[in-house]
Amino acid sequence: MRGIHHIIVQNESLKYEFDIKRNITVLKGDSATGKTTLVEMIQEYLINGMDSGVNLSCDVACRVLTGNLWKEQLAEADQTIVFIDEGNRFVKSLEFAEAIKKTSNYYVIVTRENLEMLPISVDEIYGIRSSGKYGGLTPVYHQFYRIYDFDKQEVYPLRPNDMIIEDSNSGYEFFSAVSENVTCISAKGKSNIFQILCERKVNQPTLIVADGAAFGSQMNRIERFVKRNQFLHLYLPESFEWLLLKSGILRNSEIKKILDNTAEYVESEKYFSWEQYFTELLVQVSGESYLRYNKKKLNPNYLQPAIMKQIIDSIEGIEFTV
Amino acid sequence: MLRVYFGDAQDVIYNTSVYFKNRYKKEWIVSPKAVAMIHDIDSSEVLGSGAINSPVMGIIPPTSLSGGVKTLILIDNVPDMMFNASNCGDNCAKWLLKLGSEKDVTVNLRHIMDFGEDEFEIYVVNTDAVVHNMDELAVIAGRYV
Repeated sequence: MRGIHHIIVQNESLKYEFDIKRNITVLKGDSATGKTTLVEMIQEYLINGMDSGVNLSCDVACRVLTGNLWKEQLAEADQTIVFIDEGNRFVKSLEFAEAIKKTSNYYVIVTRENLEMLPISVDEIYGIRSSGKYGGLTPVYHQFYRIYDFDKQEVYPLRPNDMIIEDSNSGYEFFSAVSENVTCISAKGKSNIFQILCERKVNQPTLIVADGAAFGSQMNRIERFVKRNQFLHLYLPESFEWLLLKSGILRNSEIKKILDNTAEYVESEKYFSWEQYFTELLVQVSGESYLRYNKKKLNPNYLQPAIMKQIIDSIEGIEFTV
Repeated sequence: MLRVYFGDAQDVIYNTSVYFKNRYKKEWIVSPKAVAMIHDIDSSEVLGSGAINSPVMGIIPPTSLSGGVKTLILIDNVPDMMFNASNCGDNCAKWLLKLGSEKDVTVNLRHIMDFGEDEFEIYVVNTDAVVHNMDELAVIAGRYV
């Protein structure tokens, strides 16, 4: 499945209206905001149809997975938006992650757990915003220029002295070369960032850079560090490859169209995360050119001053003293 | 004291809503504490042991209370079992602290709940240590969740 899907669920007392944009969406937030009620209304409609008194409007099928029957229920789902309420143990399992990896469905999971096994986008974590009988989705993590500072009232641009980079491949190589005035360390994986923050005294402007397309599982563990430390900032582009595509260094008229409307291009069955899609797209559009891209080892041409400057200049809200 | 086991735990009631549906006792609903929790978290009024007035859904049974309130009621009334308190939102945190101030309760948390900016005392079972504020709690809990 691909694209943005608009869903309306309503009965006499309540109406929910929202869009689902990626293969994995997480609903969390305070108790009594209507998350379970939403899933229950969908389930009632699926079981009883019109007799339920619930109206469900969506351009694709919807389904609810429950308890120990999830595998059988999932086997019947195709091109479907699958809802899973909290209290379902299986969502944290490797078996579930493997089972949904190559499916044509989108998944909406109600949970406060971090779900390390799943590539959850930081932008697809929502709470339910209610006003009277109407409920919509509101992002849990608000951003400005893809910088997630948790309402610290920052004045942009930020000028980091230190950087903590999620990966140890091309992204790390690039940022390490950006400025000799900026110290870069690689976390060697997103789940190590928490440990680094526990051990490191951050007393000068420090920027954490990670792939937002799959960083959702880490936010609950590190948000407090960012919130409480005036020097610590979180920059989450979709991925390093997205950043390169967005910078305009590759002249290709399709790229902007794709970046402006990515949901229409990413087939959930093929890409577990948008991060994978952007990597494949960059490899494809850079082709055999002098900017041919390799995720494992950065092509040195990306470090040419003019190219590097164009990439750096495209990062809004952050300035590097070169 | 409130005792918390962070991360995956054995012998925990994970799906507290289903457990509540099949095990709740009518008298739990009308206790002053449950009435106050239901009023505070669900903005609803207890009319009797089988009926609650919700501002959005009208008259509802106890099984239609929020997952957070149902979990709190279980924690309060079934002290010999451990429940998954990650079914509670941050708006339940002060009630967990209140329950812990009245008696020893042990809960399982699978995420970092925000207990607010005031000092508190929570015994972390994983490390056999007491934490006193969110800064201390977040560093320890983050290792397990």
